Amino acid sequence: MTRAEESADITVAEDVAADEERLAYTRAAIEYAFDQGWTDGLPVVPVTRTMVEEFLAQTTRPADEVIAAVPHLGRECTVEQAAVNAALAGCRPEYFPVVLAAWEALGRDRAVMGGGWQSTSGPAPLIVVNGPIRHRLAINCTGGVLGPGFRANATIARAIGLVVRNVFGIRPQELEQATQGVPGRWSLCIGENEEDSPWEPLATEVGLPAGTDAVSATLLRTCEFVDNRNTQSPEELLADFADTISRTGAAIVPFSSAGLVLGVEHAELLAANGFTKRDVQQWLYERCVRSHEDLARVGKSLDGRIGDDGLHMLPSPEQLLIVVAGARNAAMSMVVRPFGFAGWSRSAVPIERR
Amino acid sequence: MSSEPTRFSAMVDPTAGPANRARATVLADRKPDLVGRKVGLLANVKRNAEQFLDEVGALLGREHGAEVVLRRKKLSITDPVPPDVLAELVAACDVVVVGVGDCGSCSASAVADGLALEDAGIPAVVVCSDAFGVTADAMAALKGSPGYHYVQIPHPVAPLGPEELRHRAVAALPEIVATLTTGHAHAAA
Repeated sequence: MTRAEESADITVAEDVAADEERLAYTRAAIEYAFDQGWTDGLPVVPVTRTMVEEFLAQTTRPADEVIAAVPHLGRECTVEQAAVNAALAGCRPEYFPVVLAAWEALGRDRAVMGGGWQSTSGPAPLIVVNGPIRHRLAINCTGGVLGPGFRANATIARAIGLVVRNVFGIRPQELEQATQGVPGRWSLCIGENEEDSPWEPLATEVGLPAGTDAVSATLLRTCEFVDNRNTQSPEELLADFADTISRTGAAIVPFSSAGLVLGVEHAELLAANGFTKRDVQQWLYERCVRSHEDLARVGKSLDGRIGDDGLHMLPSPEQLLIVVAGARNAAMSMVVRPFGFAGWSRSAVPIERR
Repeated sequence: MSSEPTRFSAMVDPTAGPANRARATVLADRKPDLVGRKVGLLANVKRNAEQFLDEVGALLGREHGAEVVLRRKKLSITDPVPPDVLAELVAACDVVVVGVGDCGSCSASAVADGLALEDAGIPAVVVCSDAFGVTADAMAALKGSPGYHYVQIPHPVAPLGPEELRHRAVAALPEIVATLTTGHAHAAA
């Protein structure tokens, strides 16, 4: 080894030692965040003032503007607090306008503004993103759309949960009273697969111009799969959905709700047979009804409280949320369950672009 | 690995924000007993809440010489008592019984209602099921009144029949009376 090579070796060793030290410090910072109770159980990104400024630069909204509140707790969240927690969650700064739009969409949900975050049902926000921004931010809308594996999807949803925890102070087993909670809580952010959907996107259905970057949101109590690769009949497929939608366990009498995250193949089968989204909603609204006998059999009798025909599992046809998402590789879909005492807002919030 | 706070002075605290506006509630003045006192009942829509409060109201009448003059029901399980209902209770009643907190959000809002009544000068007693003590405590702390006293009854309340409900009311009565009178001095904070 020449003298020059020896010297280079020493330099490398010094670099590695210095890097080891910096990484140890980073690890200690993450442990510190755990000790402070700032995390949802997974490691968070240590946040500095400089990072917060990078997030705030993504919006024209003032840092002290209140974007969400829990009025009965007297708690509010400002743009800046949302930015801190988005950074903490692992978001890139350019995701921040999506997070802000998600908060606005959630704010339109009656349950969120009430005690939804504290509910024994432990509901999960479902955040649906429409528009070209899905591609700019690499928000997954195809294979494995319900996660995990995609930074934008995972961290945008997590940013919501960290605000509930850190800003509203609603923590499990304290102000949050989830009996069991819902799998997927703080991780359900999906893009709609607009390219493979035969229908208009959700944001367009609820009134925004085509091509708008937008977020819709509601709280969910669960997702239940419907695997049907067997039929070519749209009515048989819808009957399969109806069976899951009509499950008595999902009725919090006299309330019930449902939505569909449709796989591409199911959506195509329905559309190819002339069904619009509106037709699907109407078909399922009419047939998803449990009789008084069915309800009585499971101890949920509603005699005298609803009409003779029984309990409609959907409060109205248009309350059936329909989003097309996932890969075109198998005919399966998810029935989702909006929290549902007041229905979902049927609206989409445009995402600000600087 | 030790965590020394001073080492991470550049880390932004994600819980920090505009100052918590909550201030400690000063409890309303109590009288030694309930004789001749006008009682308000503030129920929520949870199953058996009104029935339980009615049992309590009847017992306060029979055994303590009080009289139920106003019954009100909150239609939202999560929201605080609406201002008009609060004003009505304050105008008509000497003391108010609030309940039953037997879910995550309604137990928290029941505690908030009790503190709102105290703040308006009306002695109040909040009844929660014992499954929700932690959330009721957290709410009291959030409102600036950690340690606020409320009465716990065994969980669950919703599936009880009339007879079981009456037993719950009888068992809770001494503590309810004590909380509404000087028989039991409770500091809010």
